[in-house]
Amino acid sequence: MAEGPRGPGDALWEALLALLPPMREELKLDVGEKVDRGAALLVQQAVELFLGGRQAECLQASEAMLDYTWEKLNAGPWQAVDRAWRQVYALGCLLKTLCLCQPPREATAVAAALRVCDMGLLMGAAILGDVLVRVAAVLQAHLVAEKRPDRSPRRELPSTKRARYDHISAPDVQLERAVPRLHRPSLQHFRKHFLLPGRPVVLEGVADHWPCMRKWSVEYVREIAGCRTVPVEVGSRYTDEDWSQTLMTVSEFISKYIESEAGDVGYLAQHQLFDQIPELKGDISIPDYCCLGSGEEEEITINAWFGPPGTVSPLHQDPQQNFLAQVMGRKYIRLYSPQDSEALYPHETNLLHNTSQVDVENPNLEKFPKFAEAPFMSCILAPGEILFIPVKHWHYVRALDLSFSVSFWWS
Amino acid sequence: MAEERPGAWFGFGFCGFGQDPGSGREHQVLSPEPLRAGGDICHVSASWSYTALVTRGGRVELSGSASGAADGCRDAWASEGLLVLLRDRSGSRAELQAWPPGSGLRGEPLWAQDPEAEEGDEPGAEGRTGLLPLLPGSRAYVSLQPPLRRALAPELRARRLELGIEHALLLDAAGQVFSWGGGRHGQLGHGTLEAEPEPRPLEALQGLPMSQLAAGGWHSVCVSETGDIYIWGWNESGQLALPTRSLAEGKRTDTGEDEGLNEDGSKVERAAEAPAPFIAIQPFPALLDLPLGSEAVGVSCGSRHTAVVTRTGELYTWGWVPRSPVGTTG
Repeated sequence: MAEGPRGPGDALWEALLALLPPMREELKLDVGEKVDRGAALLVQQAVELFLGGRQAECLQASEAMLDYTWEKLNAGPWQAVDRAWRQVYALGCLLKTLCLCQPPREATAVAAALRVCDMGLLMGAAILGDVLVRVAAVLQAHLVAEKRPDRSPRRELPSTKRARYDHISAPDVQLERAVPRLHRPSLQHFRKHFLLPGRPVVLEGVADHWPCMRKWSVEYVREIAGCRTVPVEVGSRYTDEDWSQTLMTVSEFISKYIESEAGDVGYLAQHQLFDQIPELKGDISIPDYCCLGSGEEEEITINAWFGPPGTVSPLHQDPQQNFLAQVMGRKYIRLYSPQDSEALYPHETNLLHNTSQVDVENPNLEKFPKFAEAPFMSCILAPGEILFIPVKHWHYVRALDLSFSVSFWWS
Repeated sequence: MAEERPGAWFGFGFCGFGQDPGSGREHQVLSPEPLRAGGDICHVSASWSYTALVTRGGRVELSGSASGAADGCRDAWASEGLLVLLRDRSGSRAELQAWPPGSGLRGEPLWAQDPEAEEGDEPGAEGRTGLLPLLPGSRAYVSLQPPLRRALAPELRARRLELGIEHALLLDAAGQVFSWGGGRHGQLGHGTLEAEPEPRPLEALQGLPMSQLAAGGWHSVCVSETGDIYIWGWNESGQLALPTRSLAEGKRTDTGEDEGLNEDGSKVERAAEAPAPFIAIQPFPALLDLPLGSEAVGVSCGSRHTAVVTRTGELYTWGWVPRSPVGTTG
């Protein structure tokens, strides 16, 4: 199928081909009614070019698919984007990935292909049995095998960097009303006293034996996920004017925002890392208490939150129940009841109506006088602990250390 | 005089889109080439995968992923989902028709309507071309989402109407610009990211009469009667000719300094440099200067790029250039 010499059985190429459907015509996705005729034609043409071994032209066609569908993905709110467009985008990523990896390939081709794959996972929708996840795993394995075996081991962070950690002050939570703590409450007890009345609680002894608690470190994360592309939030908090989101590999994120003394704060926040890298999913578990909800287990959204000390999530509320499991480092968390929403001065705009205008640890009481009297609970969440944040409960989070949390949004 | 269209749009020659009619070539158009049609071209409407050409004789010809031709046509507006035509009917009436691009203009249109132009509003076919999606009489316009025909308040006295992916722009008889629709990327120009349900005048431009108007995917441009360009909206690809993030980051690393640690673990000295400013969104109009102080007379937008023609006949384009080469000229 490929043109030209392929070299002595290119293992990567063989592994990729093995992931494709045996009936290659299946690559011509049935895009349905929602996709424009011109775009549907392009899908047909691009697949035909691939099947015909016309790699350079297929590359152009798949890039054209990505460029056009990118516009559809950016038109209007994300929830309104038709799944069909995201599937076409994913197919474009798959074809481009294959074209880049087809021998003879450039030295940087596989890393570039993995970035494309990750874009397909981030912005696309599952196609061909979620083939992109498996393609990414094959590419990642190839890249890891390629790395020099004598790579010098990373050392402890030099003492000069410790100073940064010292600046982070932990609030004296003894002076504040504490979130109650329970050791492995029964399902019934949790449901009756916390889930139904919507009261926060710290669960101890539930997550402390998850593999992640003993396995995870910055080095481990870099090893497992280093070459994968993830979204990163840059800026102190998302309510700031100079806050932005960008994409980079996990390695780049670690060296730029965890290991170096960058001026900016970078936060790998609210990212479904465990869908992207299934290997990591084996290190965590879904808390049993989630079965008290009405949704299916597949519908639970699991997010990773990985960042340096000092990351802040401004006071806000979410539309689902949340279990926040702490894996590395500690977080200071404050909770306000939805009953007191008025004293929290939510933004008026559509975009930020679930976010308070008040800077919790440095409130402008002249502008927001009622905030001073708003009752709250707080805790310092440590590794192995899970905080239950009831639906719509306002929460503010500040990392006191280098931190990795895993959140479970369920209904 | 035939209107020459520069090749500043996609040439998907490899999959037979070939929007350049008559050339029969498979490859992209790399530099401006004259278009050919059966008659003097007076209007061109380009969609992504096909183009509609309208001749002075009233013939519309399609090329690219869609083909076909029809007579008695005053105006055409091409989009991926629909081709909208203004066809002559008996007397001085016209009929608004919507065709699927794949129909080859054979059979019946998807729908047809009387555009409800008022008597005396239309002096004739002359001068009417190129105003779609604005309908004759300026009481309504065509939209790509239902309802397909939308009313405009008569007091707006719309002269020109342009549609972006999520917003709409209107230029009235006095040269005032109005905008409405989605505003997430600042494309409405009112200084916020909020949507506007109804046409709202741009306060920043009040008292500055505009003569030209164009809407990109998520940005907006207008040209004043004195040739100044005002631009606002999303700048993710530099379509506003303002510094973009990637350019700013390029400047930072241009010093040749690496961040983080060297291979042997020693710390690299980083140049203490403020990050180069970049503008991702411009939520209200900014004045744009062309090189040599040129005056603009025409403006047009793609979804992520902008093009301007000056009084002295130069074409400037900026914004996103796809990886496939595109015939932009400086």
